[in-house]
Amino acid sequence: MSVIKKLFGIVWAAMGLGIIPLVVMRAMQEIGAKPTEENWIFWSIVIVVLMPIISFSLITFGVFALKGEYDS
Amino acid sequence: MAHNASAVSQNEEVTSTRRVIAASSVGTLIEWYDFYIFGSLAKIISEQFFPKDNPTAALLATLATFAAGFVVRPFGALFFGRLGDIIGRKYTFLVTLIIMGGSTFVIGLVPGYAQIGFVAPAVVFVLRLLQGLALGGEYGGAATYVAEHSPADKRGFWTSWIQTTATFGLFISLGVILIVRQSLGLEKFNDWGWRVPFLLSVFLVAISVYIRMKMSESPLFAKLKKEGKTSANPLAESFQKKDNLKMVLIALLGATAGQGVVWYTGQFYALSFLQNACNIEFVQSNIIISVALIVGTPFFILFGSLSDKIGRKWIMMAGMIIAVVAYRPIYTMMYDMGSVKKKIEVKDKTVVEHKAELKGADSLKTTITKKTFEDGTTYKEVKKEKFPVDPVKKAELAAAKKLKPDVKKETTLPQDIFYKMIGLVFIQVIFVTMVYGPIAAFLVELFPTRIRYTSMSLPYHIGNGVFGGLVPLISTRLVEATRLTPDTPPTDPLAGLWYPIVIAAVCFVIGSLYITNKPTDVDVE
Repeated sequence: MSVIKKLFGIVWAAMGLGIIPLVVMRAMQEIGAKPTEENWIFWSIVIVVLMPIISFSLITFGVFALKGEYDS
Repeated sequence: MAHNASAVSQNEEVTSTRRVIAASSVGTLIEWYDFYIFGSLAKIISEQFFPKDNPTAALLATLATFAAGFVVRPFGALFFGRLGDIIGRKYTFLVTLIIMGGSTFVIGLVPGYAQIGFVAPAVVFVLRLLQGLALGGEYGGAATYVAEHSPADKRGFWTSWIQTTATFGLFISLGVILIVRQSLGLEKFNDWGWRVPFLLSVFLVAISVYIRMKMSESPLFAKLKKEGKTSANPLAESFQKKDNLKMVLIALLGATAGQGVVWYTGQFYALSFLQNACNIEFVQSNIIISVALIVGTPFFILFGSLSDKIGRKWIMMAGMIIAVVAYRPIYTMMYDMGSVKKKIEVKDKTVVEHKAELKGADSLKTTITKKTFEDGTTYKEVKKEKFPVDPVKKAELAAAKKLKPDVKKETTLPQDIFYKMIGLVFIQVIFVTMVYGPIAAFLVELFPTRIRYTSMSLPYHIGNGVFGGLVPLISTRLVEATRLTPDTPPTDPLAGLWYPIVIAAVCFVIGSLYITNKPTDVDVE
């Protein structure tokens, strides 16, 4: 179980890192195609609020899991 | 004699227990009520406080304000959590109650955009932020306060009363809105009656403040304070020490994020789906949600109590995974029953009325279409087209695509489908009770008394405020993205469910792998 927890740690950290370019690229595409106020508000909330929370928590959690902090 | 003394002592304990639960729950209930009337009246608020020439921007602005109310909650959790861990639980959640009540009351008094221009939305925005801050401080205080009074083997049961308040608060807010709307009539309600639910709050808060003033401090915190062992810097202790930070992260990623999206999908998204995707009439859709909520509420107590016996973890995880698997089938059934697209129309019962009138330099053409379907569903569409009488101006507006008609659709369900719809929402409320019923006890047991208020409040409010609170905004966006052109209907009205499904699924995997199903009779320190 402890090995699985550690291996999944890599998955969580990779997810946390991977989300950043995905979300930023999608936001640039959508705002570039249609620079409306609606688009700006939506993507600002996602990039400023949601994405940092998801990325930071998944990366930190993944690193902790990889180091075996959740083994006990 | 000894037997009598023991019985008296037991009676006193029961009375004291009830007082603690009642005083904490009533205040939290009122805070939720205050918070939700804003969300429930989002459409009217957008018309009153945001520029009317662009209804989509107005609605989005309201949603953003709504989201701001949620997003700011974690900051309230930090600010008031810190206060609660330094000066005490009792005074802190008294302050949050007063701030919440005051902001709600003032929202009811702010003049609209038509009267004071841009100051109106700015003031409403600030008041909404204050509401979010206050709520961020309230829940952790109430849950901590009750848990620190409760015996170890009944912590899930005791704190589950606090868990009922969020759903009850939503139920009462919907009930008050419906009653005021029905008593005043739609026109008066839209004009000024919507302010009544906000103004009413001041009385409720006054009663709750009075009750809370009479309460004593939590015994565990009082003991810690007496011994001089309270934390000098709860924020640093909570989030800079690895041992505690890792618990904050597991609480967020393994429990509260999934719980938050399940909660908001089962209650808010369900209402929004009934009204916008199925076009169910306002009163009927609100009754569907209200009945499902009220019937489902006792299950918070049931699952909270059950968690005292079998542990918190698997009840919460089961709620999440069942929700993940069941959401699409449930919403497909709701859509099939609610939308008129697949229903067979009784053609000879269709009535179409046309009306044309002059309004200044404009001509207003109204078309009312009433349809009846074979299963007894009725549908009403009111289409209003306003255009200048001057043909040159009309041609100019048409060329600029500014002659869009205003279309309002209303579907009224027959009794049998209405009850089935309540059943489908009720199932979602059961998921909510599974994930939410045991969570206060679960969070309380993760953290020590000296930093409990701060530590448990943050993951709770990020999970609920950010992950959960953004469900309406992100889900609406996902549905909108399935439109092929701006004027065609969405190709997948269920696309909005992907956000809660993905978040709850990830949370389920993390929670199942990393959360320990602790014995439930452990003492909190």
